[in-house]
Amino acid sequence: MTPVLAIAKRELLGFFAGPVGWLCLVGFSLISGLFFALMTSEFSVMATQATFNPYMADKVDLNQWLIQPFFANTAILLLMLAPAVTMRLIAEDRKRGSLELLLASPISSEQIVLGKYMGALGFITAMLAMTVPLIGMLYWLDSPDTGLVLSCYAATWLMAAAFVAVGLLTSAMTENQIVALVIGFGLLLVLWLMSTADSMIDGTAGELLVGISILPHIEQLMKGLLHSKDIVYFITFIGFFLFATARRVEAYRWR
Amino acid sequence: MIHVKQLSKTYGDVRAISEIDFSVSAGEVVGLLGPNGAGKTTTMRVLCGCIGATSGSVHIGGVDVREEPIVAKARVGYLPEQPPLYDEMTVMDFVVFAATLQGVSDPKAAAHRTLRTVGLDAELSGLPVSERIIGRLSKGYRQRVGLAAALVHDPDVLVLDEPTSGLDPAQRKDLRRLLADLANREQRTVILSTHILAEVEALCDRVIIINQGRVIATDTIEHLRSLAGTLHLAIQGDAEPLIARLLEIDGVEDAQAVSDGLIAVRTKQDCRAEVAQAAAGHGLLELTHSEGLEDVYLRLIEGAQ
Repeated sequence: MTPVLAIAKRELLGFFAGPVGWLCLVGFSLISGLFFALMTSEFSVMATQATFNPYMADKVDLNQWLIQPFFANTAILLLMLAPAVTMRLIAEDRKRGSLELLLASPISSEQIVLGKYMGALGFITAMLAMTVPLIGMLYWLDSPDTGLVLSCYAATWLMAAAFVAVGLLTSAMTENQIVALVIGFGLLLVLWLMSTADSMIDGTAGELLVGISILPHIEQLMKGLLHSKDIVYFITFIGFFLFATARRVEAYRWR
Repeated sequence: MIHVKQLSKTYGDVRAISEIDFSVSAGEVVGLLGPNGAGKTTTMRVLCGCIGATSGSVHIGGVDVREEPIVAKARVGYLPEQPPLYDEMTVMDFVVFAATLQGVSDPKAAAHRTLRTVGLDAELSGLPVSERIIGRLSKGYRQRVGLAAALVHDPDVLVLDEPTSGLDPAQRKDLRRLLADLANREQRTVILSTHILAEVEALCDRVIIINQGRVIATDTIEHLRSLAGTLHLAIQGDAEPLIARLLEIDGVEDAQAVSDGLIAVRTKQDCRAEVAQAAAGHGLLELTHSEGLEDVYLRLIEGAQ
């Protein structure tokens, strides 16, 4: 096993060794399950009504009325939970001194950051995997569009990967996990709300802010439309935050 | 093995170490002494590549820590004052993890071997120590786990920052014995910092004394002890003429009769030969040198201030 994978494995198992990891996992499963139950119930009421209304029957679509909104809700849930998942990644190591072990080892700051990122991404993927049985139930009850389901999963996973990259940077900025959580959540919220910047700022600046925002890039994917520019956006976004985190870790040596 | 040249490190406006120079030969055990805030930990952290120096250079086995940090760090095992442990891991998992970070080809075998070396292959309350959760171990065991992580890649150089700090006397004695074993049997280069001078006397060949970020003395313990001290002379006869004679010797600070036939002579440099010569004609029975390293250390620190 390479050092990067060893760090990733340690981080992933570390989530299950403390209460925060379990709280995030169970909390996410319960809340997304609740959303799913409410949305399914609402959808079934609409579907029942549609049987008596031929005009409405054409419009009631499982993919559009249940799957897409469910993943949109999941995205917001992840926006709130991702900083809680990532807050400990580097801040805790600094606080308890275990970062010394990594800094004194013959590995680069980039390897440390990549290992921690992979560990956290593995955990958030496990969180997302908790929704698979819910979506699986839809296959038992109806016939959802598999392409759309996969596309929604890809969009949510890419967005979660971006959230983890942001959270990792904020965790590297402070020794205090709560501060990392607050900054991380604030930064993600700004990146999310920047999608409405063009309505407040005219011209290129507004367009640029919308372009940087995460939301427009997952909207297309969640409709099942895969654009290379969105993939490039997420790779660039994640790459930028990981690079910044590696620079921050390197800066510990030169403070 | 270790060459430190003109090493300086500043944190903002604070100069932690300033133009430090020293060398340590292969197989040598060197104690780094100094009061709190003297710059010992900073020096050690720079040696291990944990932090970068503001100026100057450190070479480990001929490799520049700044130019080739990965190669240099692979040669060093570092145990900080607070062992860098992951409390939720078992001892074995942690040492295997440390071995993997160090790029050891067979981390499990290396971990087993190292746990044996540091005495963590035994059982504790019916469960092997290696299977215990680190967070539930005593300070002494935690220190050994940290030492195992520092040793797992069989480094040429071992850097230990106050390894016995916070341990009870029995744990301290055990760990000291282990460190002596590691230094003597395995011919490893060891740098250790401590406040316990008895530890330095027991383990080290040489000491480097740092104060206010500067090296104020580098010497063997034997020589440092002989630099200054109190000599006790047991004599047969009148003490007064001898005291007058002793006070004329260059290097003698004070001479007093402490009891009948016993004179205490405080010196500021090694002048045992002159004292013995002067006392020989005054019925000298016995001459003893009774100063610990602690007095020398304190005198050097005070002198530097």
